[in-house]
Amino acid sequence: MAQRLRRTADALERLVAGLGSAVVAIGTLIGVVVVAGLSLVGVGLPAVAPTAQVLRGVADRERRRLGLGPADAPVPSTARATFADPTTRRELGWLAAHATLGWLSGLVGLVLPLYALQSLTFPLWFRWVDAETGGPGPLVWPVRDLADALVVAALGPVWAVLSVLVLPGLARLQEWPARHLLRPAGSELALRVAELRATRAAALDAHAAELRRIERSLHDGTQNRLVAVSVLLGSARRAVLRDPTTAAGSLERAQSAAEAALAELRSVVRGILPPILDTEGLAGALDGLAAGCAVPCSLELDLPERCARAVEATAYFAVSEALTNVSRHSGATRARVTAARHGHALVVEVADDGLGGARDTTGSGLEGIRRRVEAHDGRLFLSSPPGGPTVLRVELPCGS
Amino acid sequence: MRVVIAEDDALLREGLALLLGSEGIDVVATSTDATGLLEDVDTHLPDVAVVDVRMPPTHTAEGIAAAVEARRRHPDLRVLVLSAHVEPAFAAELMAGGAAGLGYLLKERVGRVEAFLEALQRVADGGTAIDPLVVEQLLTRQHPASALDRLSPRERDVLGLMAEGLGNAAIAGRLVVTEGAVHKHIRSIFAKLDLPPGEQLDRRVAAVLRHLEGRPPA
Repeated sequence: MAQRLRRTADALERLVAGLGSAVVAIGTLIGVVVVAGLSLVGVGLPAVAPTAQVLRGVADRERRRLGLGPADAPVPSTARATFADPTTRRELGWLAAHATLGWLSGLVGLVLPLYALQSLTFPLWFRWVDAETGGPGPLVWPVRDLADALVVAALGPVWAVLSVLVLPGLARLQEWPARHLLRPAGSELALRVAELRATRAAALDAHAAELRRIERSLHDGTQNRLVAVSVLLGSARRAVLRDPTTAAGSLERAQSAAEAALAELRSVVRGILPPILDTEGLAGALDGLAAGCAVPCSLELDLPERCARAVEATAYFAVSEALTNVSRHSGATRARVTAARHGHALVVEVADDGLGGARDTTGSGLEGIRRRVEAHDGRLFLSSPPGGPTVLRVELPCGS
Repeated sequence: MRVVIAEDDALLREGLALLLGSEGIDVVATSTDATGLLEDVDTHLPDVAVVDVRMPPTHTAEGIAAAVEARRRHPDLRVLVLSAHVEPAFAAELMAGGAAGLGYLLKERVGRVEAFLEALQRVADGGTAIDPLVVEQLLTRQHPASALDRLSPRERDVLGLMAEGLGNAAIAGRLVVTEGAVHKHIRSIFAKLDLPPGEQLDRRVAAVLRHLEGRPPA
């Protein structure tokens, strides 16, 4: 509570100071408009550079007030250069915003607590006010006696609470144009660099997670299968020495293991980056998947632009795995695949009218999808009540 | 010989159990992770635990930690660790407290059944089995001017087999020489490497490993 009050008082102080600089901004804006108008007919041109100088002075006061650091370049000396100067342009933008929005928010910020104070104290001084003009604030009904005045006083806390709620945000709103437009352009660049560095680190993380995933699937799948082949072959060789007729069982199992290793290797290789993505794009690739599905599958695509390849590959993999499950386990008669871009996210959905009851358990194909989706910071949702229908939804940040 | 197996891959776990079973080895329990292994060891008190390095939940080196813990609880337990790839650091961690009754082999060695059974038997008898690839990596990792340069090629072969945990007779068999010749080579190696001679087999392996890893003799 104490902290809220402190924040409100702090916001009030900033708003009042901002109101002062907004009044100066209004004066300057009028001057700028006049000079601009005169420049259109030619006579104002000599005044352009000095006006920009005045503008810089006003903006600099605001920079100091908000601790934004000095402007990054001196004011140009000629009218032509002034028009082209990015810092001056941004200062103009700030001037327009601060003279209107800044002034208004300062006024509201000042008036709200004032209403609170007036309303609370109104019973003490209402007798000296003309009853017909009403109370403080936007009150229109007449206040004739103490009872009326006490009702007004009861509104005081409402104004106070409103002030506490609104003032901090209002102060931020008032300072927002300055914080955006009066910062040196260099610091914006630094901000952008930091942002790029963060996204790049995230991309590298995703890359490492992807490599880890591939390593895992090679190790857990292919490598173990091949070891099993070797173990079973060794076992078969020993069996041949003892009794050749018993070797057939081990050989049979060894061959199955070798086939399983090949199948897993194929899925790992295909899963790394399906070649069809490069030639046909995600839309074409999904079209191929839907066409190849054993269950009749409709397709709805809204993909105006491409995403990062690794993201598309993951979406493709998820749909491929999901459709495999649909044809193998669901008993569905129809499936539907949708893929759409929602802002910075790629959202794919696979739905079927099958039996439901699909589960995201260890070792399932769904777990593979989840791992892969999470490597890209994406999310996977599965809804599959017993009796169906099953809907698998994957949301992936596009990376572009 | 009574054995427990800890391996998270189902096919491999069954294949191993099948193989060992048909060789007359009693597989008393199998488990899929470190917790299961420790329970099996506590319950069945086997002679040997055959343990996969990578198991759930993190799929990194659970098997090593579990083996070390199982040995702490049951100092007489022999442990043979199987690994999909060679990592001398894992071997070193496993054998930090001595190499007796411990083994560290690549998984695919199991396919060479005779050699695998021999290694398993060696571990069960309190000896050591270290994968040739681990030994090779330790040997090639040595600094150029190490004492190993003073060894003859034949002596290097003998050193490698010693590091794998083989006894004199087995070394003689592999190199097709007499045991007497092996004896002579070993004496010469220990002299050149400044190792105390004439020790028991497992202490000998430990000394050789320690030397190869560049650690001071115990």
